[in-house]
Amino acid sequence: MSYRISFRTVVAALALACCLASSTRAMAKIKVVASLTDLGSIAAAVGGDQVEVKTIARPQSDPHHVEVLPSYMVSVSKARLYLKVGLMLDQWADQIIDGSRNNKVEILDCSAHIIPLEVPTTRVDGRQGDVHPNGNPHYWLDPRNGGIVARDIAAALGRIDPAHEVEFRQRAETFAKECEDSRVDGVARIAALPNRTMITYHASWVYFAEAVAMEVPGHVEPVPGIPPTGGHLQELVDLIRQRQIPVLLQEPYYSQDAPEFLARQTGIRVIKASPSCDSAQPDSYLAHFNKLIAEIVGS
Amino acid sequence: MIRRRYSPACIIFISLWIAGAPAVAGVVNPNISVIGQPYLMVTDDPANPDHDRLRMDPGETEVVFDDYLNPFTRGYFTLALNEDGLELEEGWFRILRGLPGALNLKGGKWRQGFGKLNAQHPHTYPFFDGFHVLSEFLPGDESFNESGLELSERLPSPGESSLVASLAWLQGDSFRQVRGDTIGSGDPISLSGDRSEESRPAVLGRLSAFSLIGERSGLDFGLSATSGTNNVAAGTRTTVYGADAKAKLWNSERSYLVLQAEVLKLDREDAGWSCATGYAHETVKPWGWYIYGDYNWDLRWNAGASFERYQAADRDQAWNSAFGLFGGVALMEETTAFRVGWERFRTGSAPGDVQPDPVNTFTLRVIFSMGPHKTHQF
Repeated sequence: MSYRISFRTVVAALALACCLASSTRAMAKIKVVASLTDLGSIAAAVGGDQVEVKTIARPQSDPHHVEVLPSYMVSVSKARLYLKVGLMLDQWADQIIDGSRNNKVEILDCSAHIIPLEVPTTRVDGRQGDVHPNGNPHYWLDPRNGGIVARDIAAALGRIDPAHEVEFRQRAETFAKECEDSRVDGVARIAALPNRTMITYHASWVYFAEAVAMEVPGHVEPVPGIPPTGGHLQELVDLIRQRQIPVLLQEPYYSQDAPEFLARQTGIRVIKASPSCDSAQPDSYLAHFNKLIAEIVGS
Repeated sequence: MIRRRYSPACIIFISLWIAGAPAVAGVVNPNISVIGQPYLMVTDDPANPDHDRLRMDPGETEVVFDDYLNPFTRGYFTLALNEDGLELEEGWFRILRGLPGALNLKGGKWRQGFGKLNAQHPHTYPFFDGFHVLSEFLPGDESFNESGLELSERLPSPGESSLVASLAWLQGDSFRQVRGDTIGSGDPISLSGDRSEESRPAVLGRLSAFSLIGERSGLDFGLSATSGTNNVAAGTRTTVYGADAKAKLWNSERSYLVLQAEVLKLDREDAGWSCATGYAHETVKPWGWYIYGDYNWDLRWNAGASFERYQAADRDQAWNSAFGLFGGVALMEETTAFRVGWERFRTGSAPGDVQPDPVNTFTLRVIFSMGPHKTHQF
């Protein structure tokens, strides 16, 4: 038995293949890689179905120290947009981006339009610990900054995919409004507390505290990145007792010894919470903020 | 190996130049790091002039400069300052992007990526010094460090695993080996030297793979091979083959185990001279391996053990072995680390020969760094 393929059949098959290829291209999502789940979550909220987001640092790990793995480079090698935290927090990202060998990836420093806090006014050296010379880099913990980052991401996505630029901008505005609503709600709930002070392990929570009008009179670390000494812990015991500070926020990647000691000595309530949200899902960023508020008010 | 040394005056000039640079130059200054590595050592090695006495040594100080040269290229220099003076340990550029097919091009002088350990600087080791099998088999005095050009490419691989192939064309200086004088008449060494200063290009190829295990742990595998001329007059060659594996396994947020091993096979033709037949050679084909395990807990503490066994690269090919224990702590944070170690080295002997006593060496090294290059990666 023999088969004869006509010229018309070949042309039809080629035309079908071209149509399929072009529709696949049209449906191809913009691959985005973010240093943190928080930036990834914002990108997912802004990008919607047009983006596919991956993240590098795990929410339970210290974002200051991320081991550069070749698999991260492979992820970035396929990306069109990389979202950096900036302010010298994720310097490891440069190594990942360089190792990706990706000539087309656009790098967005998400700190570009935020107003940094704790910018040193004097020369920075090792005596001040792990101080970031351009300011505290944990800005994503203020939802207002989440809104600013969303607008920057929308602009970057619009440059990559102009056909969806308007959608990106609209989603960014919606997201920024949700951020502000969550913050206002958080401020109201914190305002109802009899004591709006807290101790934090590392200076990760400065932006969060400012966003909800809380005061941080002390950190477990005497200076950023340096574990506490006995003398410093005793000072904290006195401070907590004197000001009846109710809450200590501790990142999961630091030793529990000092917070447990302070809890035994003063009865302070230790809340172990990551400064980053759980995943790069669109609702994860604000869910994380709302959960933090809920844990602090004890509901 | 050719070593370039610089006088103390040169060091002072560079220091003053850096210190005296106007503040506005900061925007284009490279990252600068200085890493000190003083140590205490006690050994019962009779060949060591300080045996059975405590030796305090400033060790080698590394000065590192690195930064982007332009949007496509990064540059890196390491100067090693030791009792012999100042040496350019590494100085290279890498074109990271812009080349066709995502190729990377590296050029200059650098610790070659043969296996896992050779490319690393000793201050990143969890133990005191590199393994004997590497210094015995790889070309070069302290490490396999060569000038050359390297092209590398990431190959297609499934999922997020990584497969990278690289090929380097090297100057070949570190392969050179001076042949002993045979005394016999007509030996070119006694007549006009043996062209021992000449070198011929060498090659190094490597294939390395990485795969994630779970979210954070990983497995590395690699195959390496290098070949070069060790005596130009005789046309004799040194070839080394290697296979390596490393597993970094996290068992909690703050603790992990590193297991690493390398196997090496040396194939070296040693040039000789005979008055009757002229140049001849004898081939040695020893092999050896090392393995170590390093457990890190609470991020700042680590302890581990190592073992290596290899044949001497000579006619007898007796088996040498070494066992070591090591531990360390990063004080306060990663800029200062203390590392303590003990090694028991047993030299092999030919059948019928007396077995030499094993040599014990205790060390305590302090590693401290200023600048972005730290003693330890958490």
